[in-house]
Amino acid sequence: MSPSPPRLPLRLLSRVLRNDPAGRAILGDLQEDFVGLISSRGPGAARRWYWRQAISLAVGRLIQGMLSAIGRRPMNDSPSLGSLLQDVVYAARAVRRAPGFALFAALIIGLGVGATTSVFSVLRPLLLAPLPFERPQELVWIANEGDAGNNSLSAVTSRSGNLRDFRTEARSFEGLTGYNAFFDQDAYTLTGVGEPERLAGVGVAHDFLDVLGVDLVLGRSFTEVEGAWGGPGAVILTHGFWWRRFAGDPQVMGRTLELNGEPRTVVGVLPPTFDFSSIFAPGVPADFLVPFPVSDETDQRGNTMVMVGRLRSGTTPESAQQELDAVVTALQEAEPDRWGLAARVTPLQEHVAGPFRGALLLLAGAAATVLLIVSVNVSGLMLARSPRRSREVAVRKAMGASRSRLLRQLLLESFGVSLLGGALGATLAWAMTGAVSRTAAARIPMMDQVGVDAGALLFGIGVAVITGLVVGLVPALHVTDGDEAGVLRASGRGSTSGRGVTRLREVLVIGEVALACGLLVVGGLLLRSFNAVLDVDLGFQADHAVAWQLNPSRAFESNAEVATFFGTLADRVAQVSGVQEVGLIDALPLGRSRSWGFSIPGRPESEDDGLGLYPHLVSPGYLAAMGIRLEAGRNLDRSDTRESAPVVMINEAGARRLFPGQEALGRFIQLWDERQWEIVGIVHDVHHLSPETDPGIQVYFPLTQMGDHQTLDLVVRSTRPSDEMATAVSAALAEIDPAMPTREHWTVLSTVDRAVAARRFTLGILSGFGLAALLLAALGIYGVLAQSVAERTPEIGIRMALGASAGDVVGNVIGRTLLLTAVGVALGTGLAFWGGRLVRSLLFGVEATDPLTLLVMAALLFAVALVAATVPALRAARTQGARALRVG
Amino acid sequence: MPRLGEFELLVLLSILRQGERPYANRVRTDLEENARRRVTRGALYRTLDRLAEKGFLEWELEPSEIPERGGHPMRRLLVTAGGMTAVRDARDVLTTFFEGVGEATPDEA
Repeated sequence: MSPSPPRLPLRLLSRVLRNDPAGRAILGDLQEDFVGLISSRGPGAARRWYWRQAISLAVGRLIQGMLSAIGRRPMNDSPSLGSLLQDVVYAARAVRRAPGFALFAALIIGLGVGATTSVFSVLRPLLLAPLPFERPQELVWIANEGDAGNNSLSAVTSRSGNLRDFRTEARSFEGLTGYNAFFDQDAYTLTGVGEPERLAGVGVAHDFLDVLGVDLVLGRSFTEVEGAWGGPGAVILTHGFWWRRFAGDPQVMGRTLELNGEPRTVVGVLPPTFDFSSIFAPGVPADFLVPFPVSDETDQRGNTMVMVGRLRSGTTPESAQQELDAVVTALQEAEPDRWGLAARVTPLQEHVAGPFRGALLLLAGAAATVLLIVSVNVSGLMLARSPRRSREVAVRKAMGASRSRLLRQLLLESFGVSLLGGALGATLAWAMTGAVSRTAAARIPMMDQVGVDAGALLFGIGVAVITGLVVGLVPALHVTDGDEAGVLRASGRGSTSGRGVTRLREVLVIGEVALACGLLVVGGLLLRSFNAVLDVDLGFQADHAVAWQLNPSRAFESNAEVATFFGTLADRVAQVSGVQEVGLIDALPLGRSRSWGFSIPGRPESEDDGLGLYPHLVSPGYLAAMGIRLEAGRNLDRSDTRESAPVVMINEAGARRLFPGQEALGRFIQLWDERQWEIVGIVHDVHHLSPETDPGIQVYFPLTQMGDHQTLDLVVRSTRPSDEMATAVSAALAEIDPAMPTREHWTVLSTVDRAVAARRFTLGILSGFGLAALLLAALGIYGVLAQSVAERTPEIGIRMALGASAGDVVGNVIGRTLLLTAVGVALGTGLAFWGGRLVRSLLFGVEATDPLTLLVMAALLFAVALVAATVPALRAARTQGARALRVG
Repeated sequence: MPRLGEFELLVLLSILRQGERPYANRVRTDLEENARRRVTRGALYRTLDRLAEKGFLEWELEPSEIPERGGHPMRRLLVTAGGMTAVRDARDVLTTFFEGVGEATPDEA
């Protein structure tokens, strides 16, 4: 049996072609080519092709059918320029006669086009556009295995020895390279050129740029010699840094920069298109690249590197994965003691966009829904006008206007309105994408490259224009040949528009309510999740705390010297007036993280196999400075020195996990260095990775006993305003180390804000869409009711003359509204359940089927519907029998 | 008698030169490969319908055994006598005009 085409487009086509005598032969033609394409270009391409064919054939047939229903093909009579101009003038006059309608329709269209365009503009660079590298589809990201739930960098990074061995053993790759993922801990201070400045440098394997295929603006990429341990110091500047610090001076090539006191020669400048941080580490600045040796020395540092590979042509990520699995097994057999050997291959693009895919697709869905509602609403508006227009069309036709001429005028009119809407939409999109790239660039990759996407804008305007055109034709279709008199007779009595049109409008309103309901419920779920995240007890007090990243200018001989230096520093800062508490830690919460393997002495290793702990290296003052509660035992203090017995504090969750139902105080844990660390304190749980992630096992080591850190964060708690505080503390720091950059500081509160920024971003946009949908639905309901009340004025008048009370009439209108809304909400509930399931990964602390959210949103919709119905209802109630009949 | 558009003429010629009553896919392939133009399905089917309306073309459905067609029949295309006349007329017009071109025939220019 030959493969069959995708079911949905096939059904669409069968339906469209059902009256065509050659329909089945056409289906056969398509299927034949489809089968051919599967073997030549693969099933995916074939399916896409089939979809395109089906849609274009269906649209073509639809237009053809519509035109032949009108009786003539407008293409066949060639209008003179003069008559076209006349039509334009006529259309403009029609718009001017009902400016409210035109403006209203344009506004609605603008809203929809603007929203859709913005979202797709944001989506494109991240999900659809290729990465800015040569043949990006060949690039893969190779992570260490990483147990599920452990999101720390240590879980995805690999030892540099893995890279060295994969390079020699694996055949699937044209090139294998990597960078040091912990680069933000290697702070650099640039000295010798003006004021000392703290800079961020990324350590990369020497062939990093070659494998990615980046062409430098100036100079060359690193050489193998420069990439070796102890090789000559070299540096490649980012384009931004080159301009900021050296004003784009080409003479910088070959100059020597003093970084952390070591000379490094500038060998190249990166192109502006290659923004390392925006792709690999959004929100973390990078000023230059330095070589990161792939050697035994770096291998000993443990998991540090993220690997990137370029697949040989014809190799798939799957086959590369298979080969690496085999390589890993072989290496492990040869060296049974080796740890950290694992590799997971994913396409680079997938890796970069992965975490944001859900949120962005959700927004895209929401935007598409809004555009749909817009189309429905514009259709509703046009339909509401159609009886009046039919009358006009009938008069003009009776007076001898040709059908094609009338058609052209109506088309021009709705085209004009749509264009106006498109212009409004473009403006809106421009403003919105600007705002997005400013606010979201911090945490979402490649957001700095967002601009209004022309394709998306055209698509949005296209949808609006087509909707306008299709619905704009209704009045013209309404007047069939020879029935002008009938239409005029009917409208002369002021009677209702055709039953079909009314029914259609009501169906449109139900559709709008359903779509709005779906959007609102999903928005509500996200809002509840957001609140739940904000309500999470982070475990520390974020307010009144200011932080610095410290990077001493001098090199230290020993860990003892480091400890003394930072001890003195903390003491000096504590003396600054207004400072309440001073603490030091290797990395503050909601920032960087790493994990270490460990064991419990006296317990078989298998029991806690694969568990990692999140280590924090802290000074005695840290808990107080961050406002973290000590739950039991004692805090670390000055008596914990290099010479005294090793001690740690552990968090509550960790204590429960490791010693369920037992006392954790007094127990020991053991690390790779064979030292046994006694647990002396139990600390309140801190959400270190993110508010949404479980705290995991967190262990606090005294800085004096565990020296494994490159830089330290200083946190100061004070009642004085943070700016004032920062100046005073910076001055005190400068006393201890004048060459240490101290100007950059941040509040702990801002870190918390950043941690929820992506969520706030999604929520903000979705709420906007939800409100827009609600507004549009309300307008839709109002439009339908107002129109139907206006049409039924004579009927209502007669009823009231026959004794119906104003209350009856109002009840009648309200009843209709409630019925329409109820049906819409019922359908919308189904939509919402489906939507909620799609966004489950974004939900936190709330179920996708949360009944409260559903109830609140349904109530909101009913309330809005009632408000929308009030004006028409009151108008109906004021109807006076005699007048109504006169008007009729 | 209705006149022939350029694309209509090409379609008729393609049917004629293939003999054996070809079906739409063959005509499309022929036009794409030999007339050096992109032919969308919609345009081709519309043109076939139009030619049939004008009485230049006839077709009949024939059950097909080709497995790729998934049991769908083939539409065998046949140029009618009227179609032949229209094609001949078009050729005569073209010939007359090319003869008038004389030495400036594009080939020799």
